[in-house]
Order: sequence, then C-alpha cells, then structure tokens
Amino acid sequence: MDYDEVVSGLILELRRGTLILLVLSQLKEPMYGYSLVKKLQDNGIPIEANTLYPLMRRLESQGLLMSEWDTRESKPRKYYRITDDGLIIYEKIKKHWKEFSHNIDNLLEG
Amino acid sequence: MNNDLIERYIYAVTKRMPEKTKNDVSDELRGLIDDMLCERCGDVVPSEKDIKVVLTELGSPQELYEKYNTDSKKCLIGSPYYSTYKYVLKIVLICVGVGIVISVAASGMFDILKTAYAGEISEGISYAQPWINLFINIFTMLPSGMLWAFAFVTLLFAFFYHNDIKIDTSGNLDNLPPVPKKKQTISKSDSIVGIAFLVVFLMVFLLAPQIFCVIVTSKNLFIPIFNVEMIRAIWYIIVLFALAGVIREVVKLIERQYNKRVMITTIVVDIVSAVLAVWWLYSDRIINAEFSNNITTLFEEDFLINIFLNFNRFFLVCILFALILDAGTAVVKTLRK
Repeated sequence: MDYDEVVSGLILELRRGTLILLVLSQLKEPMYGYSLVKKLQDNGIPIEANTLYPLMRRLESQGLLMSEWDTRESKPRKYYRITDDGLIIYEKIKKHWKEFSHNIDNLLEG
Repeated sequence: MNNDLIERYIYAVTKRMPEKTKNDVSDELRGLIDDMLCERCGDVVPSEKDIKVVLTELGSPQELYEKYNTDSKKCLIGSPYYSTYKYVLKIVLICVGVGIVISVAASGMFDILKTAYAGEISEGISYAQPWINLFINIFTMLPSGMLWAFAFVTLLFAFFYHNDIKIDTSGNLDNLPPVPKKKQTISKSDSIVGIAFLVVFLMVFLLAPQIFCVIVTSKNLFIPIFNVEMIRAIWYIIVLFALAGVIREVVKLIERQYNKRVMITTIVVDIVSAVLAVWWLYSDRIINAEFSNNITTLFEEDFLINIFLNFNRFFLVCILFALILDAGTAVVKTLRK
C-alpha cells in the first residue's frame, strides 16, 4: 500500500472546505491574491497560488467576496474583500467549525 | 525578460474562457507571475530558467484552466442521466439494428422474387445480383442507421442533462412510486418489439414502398399499390410518425409501469400520430393511379375490390384503430386500481 499517496489524497479532501473558511477569515481588509498566499504560508498554511486564485474568483461569483482593481501603483492589482453576505456566512461556518473541531478533538483523544 | 513565454502561457490558460472573464484573468495572472518572479529573484532581472520554474509551479495551462472552470456540467451526459442513457441507447441500438436487417431483408426478398417471377433478367445480370445487392444494402444501411440512432439518443439525453429536465420523479421519499401491480407493469419486450416495428415501418416506406404491390404472374405485371414518388416527396410525415412512436416506447421503457406520465405521453403521441396518419393517408394522392385504374381487372371478389378502391382509407382506419386501442390500453391500465 502506498501510504503517502493515500494520506496526501485524504489531506487534500480535509483541506478543501477549511481553505474557504480561512480565506473568508482573512479578507475583512482588502488583500490581493499573492499577499494572501504569503500570509497563509507564513502562518503555517501552505497553499498554492493556482488553488487560491481560482477559489477567490469562485467565491466572488457566489457573492461572498468582491473585488476591485487598484491601478494607483506601478503594478495593477486586484484586491478582494469580504461582502456583507460573506461576513454573515463566515460567522456561521466559523461557529460550526469550532463546535465540529471541538467534538472531533474529544473523539480523537477519547 | 522573456515576456513572450509568459504571454503564451497566459494565452494558453485563458483561450477557452468566456470573453468577459478572459481579460480579467489574464491581468490577474500577469500580476501573479510578476509577484512570484519578484519573490524569487528580488531586484535581479529574472532569467528564462526562473520564468520556467515559476510557470511550472503554477502547473500546466490545462490544469490551471480546469481549476478556473467552474462549470458544474463538464461532461456531455452525467449523473443521474447516464445510467438511463446507457440503458435506452442499448435498447434503441438493438431495435434499430434488428429493424434495419428485417426491413432491408424484406425489400431485398421482394427484388429476388421479382427477378425470379417476372423473368426480368437481361444480359449480364444474374440471379445472384439481388442477393449481392441485399448484402450490400444491409452492410451500408446498418452502420449509418446505428449512427443516426446513436446521435439521436445522445443529443436527446445531452439536452435533458444540460437543461435539468427530470426524467425520474422518484427523487424524494414521498414521491417513491408504488411497487407496480402485476397488471400495471410494462414488459420490456413489448416496447422493444414496438420500436423494432416502427423502424421496420419507417425503413420499408422510406426505402422500398414498391414492395406493396400486386403481382400478376400471367401478365408479368408488377403494379405498386402506393404512389412511390408521392411517398418519397412527403417522407417527413413517416419520419415524424416513427419518431413520435419511438418517444412513446422510450418513456414506457424508462417508467416500466403504467402511470400518469405514461398515460399522458401515450395519449399525446397517439393523437399526434393520428393527425400525421390522416395527413398522410386521407388523400388519394398516396395511391398509385395505375393501380386504381386496374382494380376491377385485377380482382374478382366485390369485397376485395371495395377494400382496394379505398385502400388508403382502409389503411388509415387500421392505423387509427390501433392507436385508439393503444391509448385505451394505457388509460385502462393506469386507472385500474
């Protein structure tokens, strides 16, 4: 059995949903994609730009994020920020996540 | 700096995107690649190798495109339609295959008989020729007929899938259909025979309407009953008639029991078929004039003369009777408690 392959597949599935929660949590202030990649990486959450960029675009089309091009500096950049709807949804999933992870911890330690 | 490679990469990622997002994604990717190069090289001008490393990190253009592609329907026919599609396709292909072989064989046998009876053998044409034609016809008709059937079923289900047309209503617990009573089940073979019959009907009338004819051996006469040119000119009526019938049988195959859907489909299809049959057969144009003129010399019994004098209407009444019987059966079997 190839343990590494199975483990990396399962970890990918575990991360998929939690990444959305993390992205929403960080975008109360506007940020551009690469700065968010760096911030998450610096905090021990490695994420590929090729995952984050399409994800932010999808969340925008769902109405959870909004974006704006900032062309004032030499490099034009697209800044994303959470919407009011996104904030309400974020609070709900955050609450769910806390309960969920607490219960999981109990079961895993038990 | 090798901008060309970056531009080609971005183009490859975005070329299939919708116009309104294409430019936005391009600009965003350009910014991202620039950020990644700055991170990697700082103030040093990035080499081609650096660019390649960064682009490799982003993944192949195809992979990145797939990540951006949010279309939830990435396939032609997906769940929950696929299993029904496979099932219907299998049955339709069997029916069309059997139908084509039977109808081509029927019209081929006619030619063989005609050659044998009427002695229409001129120099250079042997008795074997009709047999050869028969096999050539089967092997040319079969692939194209199967291809048409395949395309028709596939496009129909692709349309259902992409428009979310429900073909199975047993989605939630309250709607689960009752286990059908024995008398309400529809046998699979009935529908298969029905479709095969419609295909035979369609093929015979499209390809060899002349096989309905009167043979007078003593006079070496072959008089087709139908006006072959007219039948060919209004071919679309027969196609619509067969298509309507096939749709009715496919709905029966999916439902597998008499219920409201089957009843309504059957009634609608039978009414459409009846209108088409009247359109097709009511006027005398469909009958070969030579045949009408010769009826009294061809037959002796008054009974037969009467039938053949009004053969189109006789045929029409038979079809209408069958349609009423079919609709009636569906209504009775559905409403029976």
